[in-house]
Amino acid sequence: MAARVVKVVRPAPTTKQWLPILIGLGVASAHFFRNLFGFIRGRQDFTVNFPEQRFVQPPAMRGMPVLVQMANGKERCVACGLCEWACPTSCITIFPAETAAEVERFPEVFDIDMARCMFCGLCEEACPEEAIVMSRQVEISSYSRRGSLWRKQDLLVPEAELKPRLDYLRAQYARK
Amino acid sequence: MPESNPPAPAPPTPPTPEPSKLMAAILERVGALVEQWHAEHGDDRIHVARENIVAVCRLLRDSPELAFDMCLDVTAVDYLGNPDGFITPSQVWDENRAAWRHLPQSRHRLVQPPRGPSPRFAVVYHLLSTSHLHRIRIKSRVPEDDPTIDTVSSLWPGANWLERETWDMYGIRFNGHPDLRRIYLYEEFVGHPLRKDYDKQHEQPIQEYVGPGAKEPRRPQVEYAGPERKNTQRPD
Amino acid sequence: MPDRNAKTLNDPIDSAMRPRAEASPSQLDPGLDAPPMRLQFGPSHPATHGTVRIVLDLDGEQIVDADVQIGYLHRGFEKECETGYYYQNIPYTDRLNYSSAILCNTAYCMTVEKLLGITTPERCDFIRVIGGELSRMADHMLCVGSSAMELAAFTPFLYLLEARELVLDQIDALCGARITTNAIRIGGVISDLPAGFREFATAKLDRAAKLIDDAHKILTDNIVFRRRMEGTGYISPQDLIAHGVTGPMLRAGGVALDLRRTQPYLVYPQLDFDIPIGEHSDNFDRYLVRLEEIRQSRRMVLQCLEKIPAGPVNVDDPRIRWPGKNHVFGRMEELIDQFKLVTEGGLFPPGEVYFALEATNGEFGFYLVSDGTGKPYKCRLRSPSFSNLSPLGRALIGRQLADVVPSFGMTNMIGGECDR
Repeated sequence: MAARVVKVVRPAPTTKQWLPILIGLGVASAHFFRNLFGFIRGRQDFTVNFPEQRFVQPPAMRGMPVLVQMANGKERCVACGLCEWACPTSCITIFPAETAAEVERFPEVFDIDMARCMFCGLCEEACPEEAIVMSRQVEISSYSRRGSLWRKQDLLVPEAELKPRLDYLRAQYARK
Repeated sequence: MPESNPPAPAPPTPPTPEPSKLMAAILERVGALVEQWHAEHGDDRIHVARENIVAVCRLLRDSPELAFDMCLDVTAVDYLGNPDGFITPSQVWDENRAAWRHLPQSRHRLVQPPRGPSPRFAVVYHLLSTSHLHRIRIKSRVPEDDPTIDTVSSLWPGANWLERETWDMYGIRFNGHPDLRRIYLYEEFVGHPLRKDYDKQHEQPIQEYVGPGAKEPRRPQVEYAGPERKNTQRPD
Repeated sequence: MPDRNAKTLNDPIDSAMRPRAEASPSQLDPGLDAPPMRLQFGPSHPATHGTVRIVLDLDGEQIVDADVQIGYLHRGFEKECETGYYYQNIPYTDRLNYSSAILCNTAYCMTVEKLLGITTPERCDFIRVIGGELSRMADHMLCVGSSAMELAAFTPFLYLLEARELVLDQIDALCGARITTNAIRIGGVISDLPAGFREFATAKLDRAAKLIDDAHKILTDNIVFRRRMEGTGYISPQDLIAHGVTGPMLRAGGVALDLRRTQPYLVYPQLDFDIPIGEHSDNFDRYLVRLEEIRQSRRMVLQCLEKIPAGPVNVDDPRIRWPGKNHVFGRMEELIDQFKLVTEGGLFPPGEVYFALEATNGEFGFYLVSDGTGKPYKCRLRSPSFSNLSPLGRALIGRQLADVVPSFGMTNMIGGECDR
């Protein structure tokens, strides 16, 4: 149960120079024929036909951050500003405001500059309200730099759509 | 916290009374040249005057019981305003927090603490012995008005690039260095970016390009007038 | 139109360059006393997998002088770290060695833990080793594969990249991202192993092992590959040590310096693995050492999956690790902890600390100076690529131009880590 130091074995150069070429051809043809006739047996597809097919992403996958929209159409965020603090790249901007509703604080402005966001997930980890979560959305390209600024209305996603991620989060960040 | 006249930092606490086995060997060999020594978090560290750095390094490398044959790292620390190390927490944090209340972005702005009397920089060497597998850190203080120290690249050629980097980032000159150019930045760069008084958002002057093809007319820039994203069409 | 005669093309472009090497009589034709030709190799060269510029002075095909210039990917990592909290710098360490990010995360977090003087739970250490060894596999596969591709062997590149994707699938399942993992936290990891990870990882690793064997069959005995790798890029073991070279490059020179063995950390003392060393200190030995390390890393991951104990994965200390979300939603104390940790970064004792671990390219260390606040006063990276690249210029002098490509490829210079 320990580390041993071993010398790597350098194979002696062969005198039959045609042999390695044949071996290489054999390996490459094995891959070729397995892919060609793989529909009969044994092919393990590696690529998918994007965008018609998509990869099955694991539940841990971190896409762009979105805001959770509750059933009444409002965001769950209470504009406490922790995600703004935790963000290493300062890509989140929040201006809080107050209403007379039951949850009296809400973000009047909630902007995420997706050109700066690096999908690290620290906002999600810092959020005390489960209001900002990492979605599975990764297609955020835009034609201009202004298009990478996502407003609050663009970021809101209904809670039902985010249920797998919310379930994963509760398990991931739970402690005894 | 008062804004002016910060309390003077207390002198460093005395080191642990019992030197480790390695430290005892080092003190026996180069004890006369060592100003002070510490064992902090399990890392042995000696402080050496900058005139003696080459002599100490040569002794450390050539003594058979020490045999520090690998120079892992050369860097510097800028103790601007905290010249005697950090025994008390500095005030930078409180001032930054006060600035943050007005504008969130300003937490990245640098608040310059008051200057102290001790030498501003410390050049830090990390050495490793590949035969005995022990490590040592050497610190040597360098004042602000004469930021020079002797080079150790004649002892370890690997220190060549590391000293070039330290010159690039901190502006500390290494006497006798064979090739002291900037290593990361361009030669026209103004200032040394890892100094504490270099603001992170500081902008450099634009340099004229003088290479081949400089006289050719620039291609005019074209604004893209294609379709916008949906999310930008919405009213704010 | 630029003047297309040879004189202009060979003129130095910037003032940062050294004066040209002394004009030497050509070896081929002693009567021809021509100055050496200056060749700009890089910064963006199709045969180098990294942004580096090598200014070569050539006498025919022979290299008279070589000047390696780095810094094309300098982003000011250390300056950036000084303005962020300790936890905010973890995503930036992903971008150092971007092909083995978990090792960089682990090095940074373990340095901070050494500063704090805490130890992590055993299950956390196992997860760190699993993630780190998977990263090491991915990095070595990329290095060997792209080096082979630069020597015109495209088929093993595809096999190794496929194997790397299989490894990245496991990292993805582990922490939710393939490259920029952000997987390790100060005092813990981002999440526990997902359900069914052992079977998932074993299946993927078996599939990857077959692809590595295929690449080995194609490459190792290949005449062209061997003749370009054997004997090229030789650096003597004394020079390697004096230049601070660590990692597979040093071990290929016969020096068995591996921090996993010499200064064991995490759970490496409990694992059974070999440390391959070479004896010729040339590119072919570096290739063999890397290939063997991929196999040993696979062994280590499988052993870890066997031995991993149950238990918590985070330090149970509200001053260090962020509290659990289930408590934050319901209890006041944890909510206050969460706010304090996020906005103040935590409590860190003043002092300085150095910690290094064995990353893909060698000793990957952090030197932190803390002033007692939540932000590091100085965060210094001891990057292995930087030191590994420094003897390259001297090693190339007197060699052929075609030796630059395999020598640079087997250095495995990672721009993000070398240029910080």
